Amino acid sequence: MSSSAADKLEWLFKPAAEDSGIDRKTLAGLLVELARAVEPKSAPESVSIHDPRLKELRTLLVGHEIEVLGRLQEVVEDPEQLGQAVGRVLPTAVAASDSRLGEVLAPALEKATASSIRNDPRALIDILYPVIVPAIRRSVGEKVDTTFQSLDETLRQSLTWRGLRWRFEAWRTGRTFAEVVLNHSLVYQVEHAFLIHNHTGLLISHVAAADAASQDPQLVSSMLTAIQDFVKDSFKGEGGQGVDTLRLGDLRLWCEPGQYAMLVAVIRGNPPEELRHKLRDTLNHIHEERRQILETFDGDSSGLADIEAHLSECAALRQQGFNTRKKGFPWYVFALAMLILAGLAGVGVWQYQVMQQEAQEQARIAAEEAHQRALEAERRATELKHWSDYIDRLQAQPGLVVTEVAERDGKFIVSGLRDPLAADPLAILRQTEVDPARVVSRWQPYQSLEPEFVLKRLEASLAPPPSVTLTIVDGRIIATGMATPLWISRARQMSRLMPAGGPQFDYSRVQDLAEGLLGDLRKSIQAYEIRFDTNESLPAPGQDSTLDHLAASINELTGLAASLRMRARIRLTGHSDDTGPGTYNLSLSIARAGAVLALLKKRGVAADLITIGGAGQLDPLDQHNSDNARTLNRRVSVAVRIEDEP
Amino acid sequence: MSVSVQQKKICMLGGFSVGKTSLVKRYVESVFSETYLTTVGVKIDKKTVTLGDKTVHLILWDLAGEDDMASLRMSYMRGSAGYVLVADGTRSATLEVALSLRKRVEAEYGPLPFALLINKNDLREQWTITDDDLEKLRTDGWWVRTSSARTGEGVEDAFTDLATRVAR
Repeated sequence: MSSSAADKLEWLFKPAAEDSGIDRKTLAGLLVELARAVEPKSAPESVSIHDPRLKELRTLLVGHEIEVLGRLQEVVEDPEQLGQAVGRVLPTAVAASDSRLGEVLAPALEKATASSIRNDPRALIDILYPVIVPAIRRSVGEKVDTTFQSLDETLRQSLTWRGLRWRFEAWRTGRTFAEVVLNHSLVYQVEHAFLIHNHTGLLISHVAAADAASQDPQLVSSMLTAIQDFVKDSFKGEGGQGVDTLRLGDLRLWCEPGQYAMLVAVIRGNPPEELRHKLRDTLNHIHEERRQILETFDGDSSGLADIEAHLSECAALRQQGFNTRKKGFPWYVFALAMLILAGLAGVGVWQYQVMQQEAQEQARIAAEEAHQRALEAERRATELKHWSDYIDRLQAQPGLVVTEVAERDGKFIVSGLRDPLAADPLAILRQTEVDPARVVSRWQPYQSLEPEFVLKRLEASLAPPPSVTLTIVDGRIIATGMATPLWISRARQMSRLMPAGGPQFDYSRVQDLAEGLLGDLRKSIQAYEIRFDTNESLPAPGQDSTLDHLAASINELTGLAASLRMRARIRLTGHSDDTGPGTYNLSLSIARAGAVLALLKKRGVAADLITIGGAGQLDPLDQHNSDNARTLNRRVSVAVRIEDEP
Repeated sequence: MSVSVQQKKICMLGGFSVGKTSLVKRYVESVFSETYLTTVGVKIDKKTVTLGDKTVHLILWDLAGEDDMASLRMSYMRGSAGYVLVADGTRSATLEVALSLRKRVEAEYGPLPFALLINKNDLREQWTITDDDLEKLRTDGWWVRTSSARTGEGVEDAFTDLATRVAR
């Protein structure tokens, strides 16, 4: 059980930082053993932590530690004191820590830094300004130098022979002119490389390119140092910087400062800015390899062959093509010029021939066009001539009055008045060479007073028989021939209706058919009387010769009328005397006319021209109441009517 | 036998018109004109001294002489292995200048080998610097010679002695 008691007391006996080395656990065990020895029965199995004796014992045994612990607790619980305490040990702790501390702190530091920058970027700027600005300035300066150098070269070379050659090269190789210019412009050669000790200004090593001349390099290097010093002293170069570039004509001195030595390259031509990087690399290389030698250099250059080798690399730096400017007569330019001239001449001849051909072609085309124009003009003239002829013909036509002739939109236009009886203008047009499709005609109807048209209208309205002829004599219309009285009467009416100002119509020369031969014949036929005995329907004896003559006369009349395109109508009218009843006399008279008709038919007279009728006793020839009168009144009379042929 | 070749930077210091430039003119390899002195304030010449199997190239920085001490560019002294002080025997003040120059150099760069040349020995009768003055300096351990740009007296000795002291 002793071990368990000792265990319970163990928390008290943990060794303090400044423990003197007493084994308190053993001591506690001993104390319990001691207590048992004094009074085994009442000896405690264990010691309660609330036992006041224990506290006393504890004070006796570990009073010092409790006090130390109290002080520590005080420090731990008071943030201010704890802060001071940690602050005292932190630097030592950090210094003693391994890399893990950095790993642990890095994220927190990053966050804190980011937060700080967000809150106040100014602070960071202030911190970085002195570091970054010179670096940026230098970088930008170099960049601008390069750019200006390129620009300067480009402008300088663009219009020279060389520039033209480069343009050709650019064209040939497909690169831009700027690239070619840069490639050639940055022709340079490092003629000397000096490695100069910073502290003494003494020459550590010097290498010159073959055929490069210069003064004693030892003197030169010291003088360069002196000049560097002079510039620094005189102008207070920023950050201890000295001259980095000296330039004399196409000779440049580029100084690359190093920690212990300065590399000076003497360059002829136009070095690219990249060369500066190469020089810097070389200088860094030398510093890395021979730091010790450089640091302690005291003027003894023996055993520095490796440095010389590095410098030789620098001095070998050159851009191919640098020597071309030393060539004599520029044969290639001359040849190129000749080639160009020959080419130009060839092109000129070819151009001349082409121009000749073009001129001939143009002349041919011009001639063709002129010919076409002439043909066109001719065609046009012909067309106009035809048109003009057509118009002339129209104007010459009676009953056509042309009031307007024009040509619009490729169409010929003719307007005017047309008598309906006048010739058809389209019919006339078809007889000409003018294309009917190109003609627009506008005709207004009117009545012409020209005698021809008046004549035609008279012919249309009067329908003169064939025996009548209408002619124009001295502007007057004259009718001649023979006509029935009816036609003559119509002609008379028409002559009165003739429009004023027009030709006169003279029908006076038309002979009346009722007069003349036909009239005579008609009179003689109508003079015939066929006699009858009382109450007889057949002619009295002795009338046969009269009937023969009558028949002959009628046949002569109808023949004559037919020759005159007329028709003769014969009417036979029977008569009776006044003895006997009237109705009987009427039928007797009709019968007497019928008998004569039959007798005439018998003598060759065309019956269709003859009509018969009876007058009875109503139309006596002699109205006396006597037998003689009654004998005269028993008769058949003949009437003749001449009428136009239907 | 390997030949050791060394370079050493040597500064020529002295007051105005003491004849530093004239003094070395006849004895050095020079490529730069004297106008450098008035422009850049320094002119570089070279004097080669052979010491047995050693060849020492003394790179001489001829600094523009000024009586006004403040205007001397002490930066030019940086890295010097030694220096030559020059004073004009006819003007004792130039010796004072030389002494104070030496003090400034010593203060800035520590003790360096140097030689003091009292020039214009050909005008000895006009000297204001006495032999006693020189003796006093010699007893202080100074290397002092009289020199003349005309005769060349003292010049070669000064360079040879300085080369011996600065060369390893």
